[in-house]
Order: sequence, then structure tokens, then C-alpha cells
Amino acid sequence: MAGNLKNQSATIRFGPALKALFLCMLIAGSAIGYVWQKNEIYRLSQQIRQDELRLKQMADGNEKLRVKLADLRSPLMLDQRVRELNLGLAPAQPVQVWRLPEPSALPPESNLSARQLAARQGGAPLTQ
Amino acid sequence: MTKRLQLRRVLALAVFVCAAFAGLGYRLVDLQVLRHDELAKLAQDNTQREFRQAPRRGDILDARGNLLATSVPVKTVCADPSLIGNQQAIVAHALAPLLQMNEAQLYQKLFPRVSKDEKGETVTNNLHYVRLQKNVTDETWQKVQQAMSQTSFGVDEKKLPESGRVFFRNLRQYAIFADPDQMRVYPNGSLAGQVLGFSGVDEFKLDDRPVSQISGRDGIELALNSALGGVAGWRVTETDRQQHELVALRDEDVQPHDGLNVVLTIDAAVQNILESSLADAMQKHTPASITGIVMRPSTGEILAMVTLPNYDPNKPDTISPDTRNRVITDVVEPGSTFKIVVVSGALNEGVVRLNDQFDCEQGHFAYAGRVLHDHEPFGMLTTEGIITKSSNIGAAKIGIKLGQDKLYDYASDFGFGQRTGISLPGEVGGILHPVKDWTKVSVAQIPMGQGVAVTRLQMLMAMAALANDGWLMRPMLVSCLEDRNGNVVQKYEPQRVRQVVSDSADKEMIEALKTVVSPDGTAAGAAMKNYTVAGKTGTAQKVENGVYVHDKYVASFIGFFPADNPQLCISIVMDEPKEGYYGGQVCGPVFRDVAERCASYLNIPPDSPAPLVANAGNPH
Repeated sequence: MAGNLKNQSATIRFGPALKALFLCMLIAGSAIGYVWQKNEIYRLSQQIRQDELRLKQMADGNEKLRVKLADLRSPLMLDQRVRELNLGLAPAQPVQVWRLPEPSALPPESNLSARQLAARQGGAPLTQ
Repeated sequence: MTKRLQLRRVLALAVFVCAAFAGLGYRLVDLQVLRHDELAKLAQDNTQREFRQAPRRGDILDARGNLLATSVPVKTVCADPSLIGNQQAIVAHALAPLLQMNEAQLYQKLFPRVSKDEKGETVTNNLHYVRLQKNVTDETWQKVQQAMSQTSFGVDEKKLPESGRVFFRNLRQYAIFADPDQMRVYPNGSLAGQVLGFSGVDEFKLDDRPVSQISGRDGIELALNSALGGVAGWRVTETDRQQHELVALRDEDVQPHDGLNVVLTIDAAVQNILESSLADAMQKHTPASITGIVMRPSTGEILAMVTLPNYDPNKPDTISPDTRNRVITDVVEPGSTFKIVVVSGALNEGVVRLNDQFDCEQGHFAYAGRVLHDHEPFGMLTTEGIITKSSNIGAAKIGIKLGQDKLYDYASDFGFGQRTGISLPGEVGGILHPVKDWTKVSVAQIPMGQGVAVTRLQMLMAMAALANDGWLMRPMLVSCLEDRNGNVVQKYEPQRVRQVVSDSADKEMIEALKTVVSPDGTAAGAAMKNYTVAGKTGTAQKVENGVYVHDKYVASFIGFFPADNPQLCISIVMDEPKEGYYGGQVCGPVFRDVAERCASYLNIPPDSPAPLVANAGNPH
């Protein structure tokens, strides 16, 4: 009887204890996981908010730069600046433009007929 | 005894606990089931908010991608009067100069007000929301925030009780706030103002808050409002007490669909050339108005369109009925420019040939009870000579020879009496009466440009048809629609309307039109140094109270160049010019100036053989 009791107490000591420990760890782990998850959701939402704000600021800045660029490229503005700075710029008159003929895309040989080409290369004339 | 007492106590406790649980259970059922809908809505209203996400209005660009109209982000500064307490005077004093507002008016706005809605019911929206100023830049808004945080309210806030400290904290942080908004900006000022049009702000209420939305009022802004406007998105989310969004609790988030960019056929540089030349002519001849159009005849693309006086869309106070786009909204009798219709029609029908002779009656021709006049007496003139000298009597005789039905058909085929279909609001179709309404003299009057009313654009399109082998094109102002990344969503191609005259008749007509700018013609001042010009002058008397007046004219010159390979067609029209009134005299030189500058800018090869290489010098 005493031996049995001893044996029983030995089995009770580890099995349920481990189970209890496992259960406790599970509950504690879940709790910590839940808190961590909530914390992450909060942190990420803050990050999303900051990123959205930053994106908005950059988009707004971009818009302002685009308008500034448009101002600088405006023909009215350019005309005004040329006058202000007394640059004396004026469009070229047609007589001041020297137009060169476009070079032919094909080499001079291409002007020859296919038959002539074949003859020069010593091959048979092209036939259908 | 003790046991019984204990049992009784336990029983009483059990009954009490059961009753309590029953009560709680009932309350639970009441809250969760019976009043679920009502309470759920209340809870939702307390925390959940729906925000409208405004789309960005699309840009308007010129043919080379230069920005003509855009939207920039700004703030609408608002106040929550319920948080201001009795500090209105100090707040108004601090903010009025920053917001460029009258201090007294601002002071009045900061008081909580109770108003009545359309149904006459009292509403208290103004307790929490009042708009102070629109279109406030980011920089100004930062100054406003700084002013609110640094302004002294005349009390030592640290010594105040908790409630006092909370009041001042809320006043500094939340009493003045800003809603995001956008403002329409036209970086080039008045350049192409009438083509771009202008925009206004539509307001409507969403969740009892006014929401503003930019919408077109005139020009391209109005014609393509739906494409430019985009589609709003929304966000359903929860907020904290200070109405800050709790991103983690965000529910629906539908992004707005931004408006499309509209790419015009207008070239800002050509527009600037035309505007500056017309401004010079405006100073010289002081007409009531002056208009100009530059177009590619082969495609119908409009590179520039100007009416002076014009307006700056950035400054609404410069907009008035006088600054309307007269190119499409006003009709005038075209005068001699209309002779191109009758002569090209007659050439096309084979009724006349270029060398046929007509007796121009020495300037006086009686027909159908009326006497027609020329601006100077001519004897015999060829068909070509009638165009060169712009003889009314010659044109009338060609009209009579062509016949009224054919004359009407050609006028109609050239597009008169109907809208051109340009994508601008306010275009009118002009007046071309059906033949049944003509008088006997109409067939002689219409060829000289009387008895019909046309828009400047219609007249240009008719001339452009002659420059395009007789093909009438639909005028093009919009090249394509793009998304924000520059991807083309819709491309517009040039559209042919119909071939009005044959190739051969067209070429003969061009030969005649070339002579107009010769020393013998009516527009020698329109001739260009290195290009052959073809064109026609017009000088129309204005009609007042049903009679022609002798001191008010509409002068015009419409021409194209190089005559045998037309690249540009240009129309210049002055309404009541001073210092001369003949079309060739006042509009011809303006045409030449615009044409030469455009030719240089667009690098159009000269077709006159004269001084090409000889005077060129070393290009290096």
C-alpha cells in the first residue's frame, strides 16, 4: 500500500504539474501575445498615420514644385526675364538658319537595280 | 438552530444573487436585444465618422506638357466657437492679420451662434464649426498655429484650476483648426485665359458640414468638368474626443479617383506670340476687340486662340462679359473673306475659270433694285483679279452665275450656319438663312459677305479647308486625356468633316489667294519674307439698328503659309479699328508678324527661294 502510494505520488508529481505549467504558459503566452498584438496594431496604426502624413506632405510639396517649375517655364515669365535682364535674345530669322539636306539613309549602291547588283556580285539575276 | 439560520441566510443570499442576476440578465437582454438597434446607432454616432476624400482636380496642359492650370493644396481655416469661451477679442486680434480678415468681422464669427435651417428649425451647428478663411497656404496655417500657441490670454494658466487649464489647452490646440482643400491656379496668368476658362466652388453639406468642390464655369474647365473633376472617395473610421482618427479602427477606406489631365493642342509659346502681337496691335489701332487664331490646317489643331480684352482666371474680378471668347460666341458679317466660298464653289462647279473676265462696272452695279459698290472702280477683271482686288461686283456676278441653290450648298458645306463642334461652351452656329428666305438681291450680296453672320472660327475653318486640299476639318482643341502618371486614357484624332471642293479647284483657288499679298493685292503688308502666303482680306461695315454705319468696320485677314504646303492658317480680326480700317491695312501686318514669329519658333522650312544660304553666314 505504501509502495503504491509512493508510486502514485511520483506519477502525480510530474504529469499534472507539467500540464498545469503548460496551461499556465499557454494562458500567459496568449495574454502576452494578445497584448503584443494590440501593441503592434497601435504601433503600426501610428506608423500608417505618420506615413500617410508624410506622403501627403511630399505630394503637396511636389505640387508646389510643379507650379514653381511651370512659373519658370512660362513664356510670359521668360519674355519678362529676357527684357529685365536685357539679354537681347530674339528668335532666329529664317535667313539665319542654314538648312542642310538630310543624308540619304541608303548607300549609293542601293540606287542600282537588283539585277545590276546581282551582276556586280557575280551572282545570278533575281528572278521570280 | 444555527444550521437552520445559516440555511435561511444562504437561501436569502441565493435568492438575492438570483434576483440580481435576473435583473442583470434582463438589462443585458434589454440593451443587447430589445434596444440593440437604437443603442448601436448611438454608439456608432459617438465614435464612427465618415470622411469624404476629395479627388484632386486634373491639370490642363499645353501640347508640349507645359502646365496651364493646376490645383494646389491649401487649407480652409475654421473655428470651434464652443471652445473659445470669452476670448474672442484676443483670438481675433491675433489671427486677423494672418488671415487677412477684418478684425471686427472675425470677432463676430468667433461667437457661438444658433441659426435656423430651411425648415425654420433651430440648429446649433455653428456652435462647433464656423469657416473663417478659405485658400490659406500651409505657411500661413503654420503661423496661425504658432500664434494660437504663443498668444497670451492675460492669465497665468499654471495657477488656474484643472478645468481652467483644460479650457486654455483646448483653446490653443483645438479651437482653430484647418480642413484640407485645394485651389485652382493658372501659372501663366491671362495666357489662354478664355480657352482655359475659370472655375468656381460648389458647396454642399455632408454630415452637417459644408463641403466645397471646384467646378468649371467656362472654357475647357467647364466643357471637360467631369473628366477633370474625378470621383470622391470616403473613409469610415473612428475618432477620439478631439476628432482625431484612430487608424487602427479604420473600417472602409475607398481612395478617391483623381481627375484626368487634359492635354490641349494649344502651344503656350505660340499662344504667347499671338497674344503679344495682338496686344501691340490693340495699342496701335485701339479696336473694341481683336481676335486671333493659329491653326494647323491639315489636322484642325488649334495652336493658339486669343480674344482681347481678355482675363486672368486667377483674378475673378477681371472677368466680365466684355472678356468673353468672341472667337466662338460672337457673329459678324464676314465681308470680303466670304468671297472664297463663292469663288471656290464656282471653280469647283466649272461655272467659271481663273482667267474668265468679268465687267466690274466701274464700281456701280444695279441689281434687283439695289446698287452694289466696290471700294474703288474696276473695269474688266479676271476671276483671279476679283480675288486680288476684292471686287464686290465681280464676286456678286460670280454668285449670280453660280446660282442661289449652289451658293447656299457651298456655304453650308464650308460649315456656315452650324457649330464647328469645338470643345468649348458657348459656341454659336452663325446665321445662314435657307434659300426660301432669301431676297432677290441675296445671291449678289452673300458673295460679298453681307446677309450672313459667321463666327471667326467658322471663317478660319473655311479658309483652312482650302489650305487642306478642300477638306473641311473639325477644329481640335483637346489632344488627349491622361491620368496622373501620364498614361493616355483617351486620344482624340483629327476628324475630316467633308471635302468641299476638289483638289484641282482648290489649287486654282490657292493661286488666286496668293495674289492677295502681291503688291497689286489688298494685303501687300501680309507678305512674308521667306514664305509664300495665300490669304484674303475682309472689311465689313457694321450694322446698327438695321442699317450699315459708315464709320464702324470689322477688319480681317485670314491666310496660310507656305501656300503650296500649308503648315499654319492664321486669322486676325479687329472690331472697330482706328488708324485705318481695311483688313489688309490693319490686320495684314499683324498676320505677318505672328506668322514670321511662329515660323521661326516651329522651324517651318521657307519656300521662297530668295535668300536661303546666301545670307546665312556660318552657322557655327
